[in-house]
Parts: sequence; structure tokens; C-alpha cells
Amino acid sequence: MTAELEGVRVLVVEDEFLVATLIEDMLHAAGCIVSGPIPRIGEALEAAGRGTYDAAILDVNLGGDRIDPVAKALSYRNVPFAFVTGYGTAGLPGDYAERPHLRKPFRMTDLINTISGLVHTSRPKVV
Amino acid sequence: MLAEILGRATRMPVVDAKDGERVEAEHVYVLPPGAILTIRGARLHLRRTGRSDRERAPIHVFFNALAEDQGEHAIGIVLSGGGHDGTVGIKAIKENGGLTIAQGSNVSRPRFAEMPSSAVAAGFVDLELPVEEIPGRIIAYVRNWGAFDPEKPGDALAKIYGLLRSRTGHDFSDYKERTFQRRIQRRMQVVQTTKLDEYAERLQKDPDEVHSLFRDLLIGVTDFFRDVTAFQALETLVIPKLFEGRGADDEVRVWVAGCSTGEEAYSIAILLREQAERLVAPPKVQVFATDIDEAAMGVARAARYPANLVKEVSPERLTRFFVNEAGMYQVVKELRDMCIFSTHSVIRDPPFSRLDLISCRNLLIYLKPTLQAQIIPLFHYSLRSGGYLFLGGSENLSRYGELFVTLDRKSRIFRRRDLASRPPLPLRQFLPTSRRGTAGMEESQGGLLQRSDMLRGIAATVVERFAPTYVIVDESGQTLFFSSGTGKYLQPAVGPPNRDIVAMARPGLRADLRAALHCAKETGRRFVRDRIAVQINGGTQTVSLAVEPVTEGNETVYGIVFIDRGPIRTVEETAGVAHPDSEDTTVRQIEQELQETKERLQSTIEELETANEEFRSSNEELLSVNEELQSTNEELETSKEELQSVNEELQTVNNELSIKIEELDRANADLNNLFQSTQIATIFLDRRLVIRSFTPAVSKLFNLLPGDQGRPLTDLSSRLDYPDLESDIRTVFGGEAIERALSLSEGTEHYLARLLPYRISSDIIDGVLLTFVDVTSIIAAEEQQKVLAAELSHRVKNTLAVVSSITERTLPDGGAKTDLLGRFHALGHTHDLLSNAGWTEAPLRELISTELAPYGAHITVNGPPVSLKPQAALLLALVVHELATNAPKYGSLSTPRGRVEIGWTTAGDRQRRLEFTWTERGGPKIDGLPARGFGTELIERGVRFELQGEATLGAVDGGLQCRIVIPENPQYVTFGSPPDEPVIGEAAS
Repeated sequence: MTAELEGVRVLVVEDEFLVATLIEDMLHAAGCIVSGPIPRIGEALEAAGRGTYDAAILDVNLGGDRIDPVAKALSYRNVPFAFVTGYGTAGLPGDYAERPHLRKPFRMTDLINTISGLVHTSRPKVV
Repeated sequence: MLAEILGRATRMPVVDAKDGERVEAEHVYVLPPGAILTIRGARLHLRRTGRSDRERAPIHVFFNALAEDQGEHAIGIVLSGGGHDGTVGIKAIKENGGLTIAQGSNVSRPRFAEMPSSAVAAGFVDLELPVEEIPGRIIAYVRNWGAFDPEKPGDALAKIYGLLRSRTGHDFSDYKERTFQRRIQRRMQVVQTTKLDEYAERLQKDPDEVHSLFRDLLIGVTDFFRDVTAFQALETLVIPKLFEGRGADDEVRVWVAGCSTGEEAYSIAILLREQAERLVAPPKVQVFATDIDEAAMGVARAARYPANLVKEVSPERLTRFFVNEAGMYQVVKELRDMCIFSTHSVIRDPPFSRLDLISCRNLLIYLKPTLQAQIIPLFHYSLRSGGYLFLGGSENLSRYGELFVTLDRKSRIFRRRDLASRPPLPLRQFLPTSRRGTAGMEESQGGLLQRSDMLRGIAATVVERFAPTYVIVDESGQTLFFSSGTGKYLQPAVGPPNRDIVAMARPGLRADLRAALHCAKETGRRFVRDRIAVQINGGTQTVSLAVEPVTEGNETVYGIVFIDRGPIRTVEETAGVAHPDSEDTTVRQIEQELQETKERLQSTIEELETANEEFRSSNEELLSVNEELQSTNEELETSKEELQSVNEELQTVNNELSIKIEELDRANADLNNLFQSTQIATIFLDRRLVIRSFTPAVSKLFNLLPGDQGRPLTDLSSRLDYPDLESDIRTVFGGEAIERALSLSEGTEHYLARLLPYRISSDIIDGVLLTFVDVTSIIAAEEQQKVLAAELSHRVKNTLAVVSSITERTLPDGGAKTDLLGRFHALGHTHDLLSNAGWTEAPLRELISTELAPYGAHITVNGPPVSLKPQAALLLALVVHELATNAPKYGSLSTPRGRVEIGWTTAGDRQRRLEFTWTERGGPKIDGLPARGFGTELIERGVRFELQGEATLGAVDGGLQCRIVIPENPQYVTFGSPPDEPVIGEAAS
């Protein structure tokens, strides 16, 4: 794996245990510092507001709750993020539909590339 | 005390009056308290007041006594003092010719003005002066006494008569001269004139003096029941007779002539009223009261009198007939209505007629005998047959015996005699020319009057000279009336005076007279006897004798006429024949004409009277009609007001109703619009299944037109296949609601029918409400959902099978491949369970038993029903799978005697939780826990991560134990069986 993700702090929000641990393992393997995974919206909002991250991975649907508030919070703090979805593009939050997203199931390479893209791209303007 | 105080102010002796004391000049006498003073024969008389005395005004008593005793020599002075004391006494002094003075309000105001003011106001005061001037005037008055010479009146008197007649319209020339002159003398003394000519001049210039003189002439003492005994006699003798034989249709008519201020009239009215009240059906009573004094008439009509004038009225009568208003007594209305007051001169105006009673007191005394001679016959004419005459104290009718019978001489009550021929009516005064004259006519009037006097005298003389001699006798031969010249035939009988005509007849006449009288009495017809020889002065006079009976009412009198036939002859010439006297014929003719004229006038007067009566009764009828109309009017007014208020009420009610109707209209419009807008087919039925109303959407199901209201529903065809409709409706009438699922068109349309009772109140059901909701789309959606779910399930399972297949071909055989494929199978089984329940949940028990099915009877599973949502089901399925695969490898299921006990409970009070336990027994003792791997991580991290629960792995008795606690959370796990869904009945198809 590339060392460019070494020390990258990533916030992971995902409610499926096995999927969450998969992401966690992949990121660990790439040298990232993982915050989470966080399965519930309340905790996720709190973390999004307080923590310091270089990037975030957000599951579009948290057990029925939409991820929009978390995305908004991260966006305000200029933390880049990507969505993970089982629904296809239709399920993405409307305001952030142009953000990067991963379809389940995904390969590790896809995940790492996505993170890399988030971290190394110039910061998006605040909307 | 008073005497002492006064004594200090004068040199004259001032003493308390003592009984019997003689009044001396230059002396002052004071009335002591608690006493009444009178004077008689210039001597004072004192009387102590007892409790029964009503005399609270001693000055009134004394003034009256003084007036009576001293007449013209009395002077009455009213100084200040409270109350009306002295008013009546002053009047008496003035009436008797004395002088009256009142303290006036000039510089020296009297301290108590009431007494002087009332005396002045009553018009009885000659002089009103400030107290300082009074002594001077008295002295002047007394010094001028006797300066007036009554013996030589001269032209001045005639002038005064004339002035009075022209200024007041009344002729006083026939008033008694003495009375008249005395009044003039008094006025002269008051105004301090000594010569009659001067006074006449003054009268000419000063109209006020004329008025004062006029008032003085009219003055008469009046109060209620004056001469109490006379009135008592009237009450006893006369009043009952007036009502005898009179019914409700009759009228009792009374005339009070010279009534002045009305006391006399009201007194008589009281007596009449009392008598009327004793009868069952009394006749109407009318009292005509007249006087020439217009001012007095005003007072009489007002009928309010000071207390001292009603002295003689008994307390009972006072209460009954008077209303006491602040010291003045007003006569009650019923009495006032009985009396009609009018200005009327007895001398000048035509009299009333058909009267039952005439009361004329204190008028005649003021008139000369010639005037009286006119008035008495006037009264006689005015009275009905048997009518009564009531005169005053100093009047009598001794000269009018043929007109009136004396009933009570002392009380002056007389009764009318009825005669055949009416006495001559005094016609002169009823001629228009004798009414009020103007100033220019006074001289000619005076001359005319004087001439008419003369003419009357001539007429009397003529009559007297030519009429035959006659005498009027009553039934018993008592003479009632003599003409002149009866001496020829009658002479007084010897002995005490005897009125018997026969006794008085001269010799020769007696026998014939007696016989003639007897015959006339017997036959009741005229009896004539001729050729009677009467002895007169030595000669013989041949006479004819006629006796004629005259009946008037219940009296019969006889007229005896003596007619001379020829001259007195000597005895030798007695056998002469009487020759007709031509002079007699002429006289008789004149008499006859006069008689006829009188009779014609009489009937004319009677006709006028009748006409007057008729007018009066018409007037009364009109008055009563007016009254009725008034009351009808008032009733109509009341009705009108009632109608108006009813009208207003109705308007208000109407307004309210209008508003209600508007609200109702709006509510109806709202309902209609709601109906129109709704897409739900709704039908309202009444109890007889008749359609009351429906929404437009109904037309999709039933062919209903707007005109179908009123038709029973069952009449109509529908596209619905609902054979139970009628029975369902009847069930609904019982109060139950019913829901039915209906489908038509081979299942392409679905409706949910609801039938509800139509309630008017909580317990009255008046009809049925049917709604049909189109649930086709809902049903379709449900169907589609089922299809989708099935498809999805199929897809998922397929994918999993594909994944399994790929794994099988990709991985080399070994533990990893076996583990992987096993986990895939576990997921697959769980999917099946979930799919069976429509992807909603899976029961825990089945999940476990499915997973442990391959391991047979060594497993015990115990626990209440618990349902797991899909995410939890999948996780726990994997957990159980790990435990189940671990046990045969390393745990109790690796030995034949090993077993697994699986149990769970749902415990907890406030928050329930699932407590799951996997206990392995009878297996090889494990040392330590399984190595960390997929399974342990899943158990220890996954349960907490996904289900917020706690899971622990431990060793118990050498066997593995796994404990999992999951709090109840509807997102993941629910306890108990799934709730019953509402059963939707399928309609029989």
C-alpha cells in the first residue's frame, strides 16, 4: 500500500458491523488513524463536530437515519468525505450528490484511492 | 298682664274686662285669657270658655256682638295677629253699617300680617292704613258723624242711581231708600265727604269708588246653615215633601235667589243630598243659585271657605261634604255638581219655573215694598203647585196671604197656594229695553221708569175702579182676600175679629150667600143668584151674587163676586130691574183680552222652557256620548300601544329568524359543497332504506340520478356484488358498524364498504350511512409490494447462491472454504426466515433451531417468543452459527455425552431486556477461551456495535458459556408474539 495515507485521520460512520470492521481493517492497513466506526447518528454528529479529521467515510443510511446532518457538519468544517451506499446514486444526500461515493461491496483499492483523492485534492469551497 | 303693659302707654284707664261692666268713654278694656267677650246694651258680658267650645276666635264673637249691638256706631280695627281671626266679625260690622279698619303694610309693617291681610282680602275693610294714621282717621270719622243730612237727598241721589245703573248695569232705585242712604252715608264717612253732591261728583270721577259703593250695597251676611233652627225646620217640614212620590225619572228643582258667595245654596244642597241618599231610587236634584254679584259667583263656584264660615256645620257633615285643604274647606264635587251658579237679577231677568223650593233670604229686606210686590208673585209663578218658599229672618208675607200658606212663621217657611187665575205677571222688566243701558240713555231710562211707575198706578186705579167687588174664601168660608169696595156688602161682625164671610155679610145677603156657597161647594160649579136685596145705609142695593169654585192642585177656593144692579134705591124703588151697565162690558172686554194675552205669553214661556230642557238633556246626552268616546278612545290607544309592542317583538323575532335562516343556508351550502367535493361515494338512507341524499362519486357504483332521492336503495342496480347488503344494513340499525371489502370487475376494482348507523342523538338511530372507499390502488400497491418482496427475496437468495458457488470454485478446499460456505448458508437460512415474514422480522427460536438442526437431540432450546428485526436477525444468526460450529470442534458437542443448553428470558421491570445464554456441558474442559477470530469478534464487538447489548464469553464448569444481553428496542428486537392484524374479511366470491 502507498504510504501517502500514513497518519491520515479518517472518521468512519457505518452501522453494519462487518462492513464497518472491513473499512477499519482496510484503512489500518493503509496506515490511517481511524476514528470510529460509529454506528449511530447521535454519536456521529458529536464526533463530526468535535474531532479533527483529514477525511471521512459516511454510510448513507444509518439504520433508517439519513446521514445528511453529519455531512453538513463535516462540510462546514471543511472535512472532505465520501459516501458508502448500497442504494446507488439515488440514495445520496441531495445537497452533496456530487461528492465521491463507493458502492457496496467495494475493493480495498477503491477505498484507498477514494481517501487519497479526498486528502490530496485542494479543499473544496465551503458551500 | 296685657292691661298693665298697655296701661303704661296711655293716660286712659286700661282694665281687664269684667262681666256686666258698662262701657265708658275714654276707657280701654282688655279681654282676659280663657274668656269670651260679648256686648249687649253697651254692657260687657264675660263667659269662661269651656272645653266643648269651638270658639277659638274670641274676636269674631265680639265683633259679631258689637255689630249687632251698636250697628252704625261700631268701629272694628284689625291689628296684627296670627290666623284669620276677625274676618267674619269684620264682615258683620260692615254689614251692620259700622266702620272697619285694618293695619296696612306701609312704613310700619305689622309683625303678624295674616290677620289684617285676610280681612282685607275678604273685601270687608273700608280703610287700610299704617298704624300711625289710624287714630287720626277715627277722630275725623266721628267728628263728621251726622254731617250727612238724609232728609234732603235732591238730585244728587238720582245722579247716584244713574251712575250705578250705567256703571254696574243694576238698578238700585227700588232698594229700600233707608238702606241705600245708609250705605252711601257710610262710604261718605269713609272717604270723608260731608255733602252728597260732593260724593256724587266723586263717584263720577272715581270708578273705584263706584265699585266700593256697589260692593257695600251688596254686602250680605252669609254662612252655612245661618239660623240653625230655621234650617232644621226646613229639613223636617219641607225637604222630605220635595221627594215624595218622585222617582228616578223626576227632578227636584230648587232656586236660591240672592245666594251671594254660595253658602246658602250649599247648605240646602246638603239637606237635599242627605234626603236623596235615604231613598232607593231618588230623583235628580238641581239647585239654581243666582246673584247679581259676578265676583260672588266666582267664589261660590270655587266653593272654598274659611273654617269660621262652616261653624254651624255638624262634624259628620263636615267630614262627608267637605275636603279640608290647609285650613280652607272645599265642598265636595258631588255637591258642587248639584248647584248651578249664574248671574241673575231677580228684578230684571225672567225667573226659573216649575220649582219645588225657592230660598230667598236677606234679599227682600233691601227692596221697597213695590219691588217686593213684584217679586213675591214672581216666586209664586215660579213654584210648582205646592212648592215651598223659604225666606230670611226679617221677611214675611203677611200681605200675600192669597198666594202663600204659612207653614212655619218663625222659620219663615211658606207654601204656595194654587189659584184659578194666575196673579198678574210683572211683564215690564222682561222687555229688552229694560236691560243694561248706555251712558247716553240714562236720562231717558230714568224718565221711562218713572213713567211706567205712573202707568202702573193708573192701570191699578182703572182696574180697581171698574172691576166688580169680590172676595175669595176657602172651603169653610174663611176670607182669604178682599178687593176694594167690599164695605158695601160686608161689615165686621160684632165681637172678636171673625173672618167668616157669612158672619160679615150685610143683612139681606147672608142667607143667599150661605146658600150660594153651599150650592157651589156641593155641585163644584158656579152658582149665580140674582136680585138679592142688600140693606145699605137705609137703602137697598140690588145685587147679583156669583160663587165660583176654583181648584188648583189639591186646594179649592171660592170666588164670590158682588155685582151691583142699578143704583141704591129707597125701599119704595126696590122693585126696579137691574139694567146692564155698559161700563161693565167694556171693562170685561179689556180684562178678557188681557187674560188671553197673558195666557199666550204663558204658553210661549212654557214652550221656551221645554225647548231649554230639551237642549239641556241633549247636551247631557252628548256629554255622556263624549265620555264614552273618550274611554273608547283610551281603550283604542291602549290597544294600539299593545299592538305596537307586539309588533316590535315580532320584528325582533323575525330578525333573529332571518339570521338563523342565513346560518342554516350557509351550513347547508357548506354541506352540499363538501358532498360535491368529496371523492368518497356516500349514501344516506333512512329507516326504510330510502335514499335521502348521496355524493356524486356514488354514480361509479350505483346508477343513481339526482331524482332518485326518495327511492329505496334496493330498487337500484349496482355494479357491486354485495348480496349481504340488506342484512348488513339491518345489522347496522342495531348500532353496529360494519366494514366489508368488495371487489368487482373480476378483481380489478376494490372497494372498502363501511356501514354506520345514522345517529340523531346518542340513542336514536334514524338511518344508515354507507361509504365506499376506492381502495383499488391500495390493494394494487399491496399486491405490488408482495411481488416486489418476493422478487427481492428471490434475487437476494440467488445472489447468495452465486456467491457460494464462486467461493466453492475459487478457494481450495480447506477449513477456510468450509467456514466461508457455512457462513453463507447461515445468511441464506436467515434470509428465508425473514422472507417468510415479508422481510419484517424473524422469530428467535426458529432462527436457533434452524441453525442447530444438524446437531440433533443434545440441544435444549428454551425461551419465550422473541422477534428479531432483519439486521439483528442476521447478526445473531451469524453469532449462533459461530457458536454452533465451535461446539462440535472444540466444545461439548465434540463428545457424545456433551450437550448444549440454550435459553433466554425477557426480564426487567422498567426496561425489559433479552438475556440469552449458551451453555455447554459435559464436554472437554476448555482451557481458556477460543482464540480471537471472526466469531469472537462478532460476539464481543458486534453485539455491542449493532444492538447496543453486551456479550461475554466465559467458561462455566469447564464448559463454554456465552451470555448475551440485549435491551428491548423496537428497531432490533421485540418481545412477545407479533400483534394480531385486523382481520379483513374476504367477501365470498
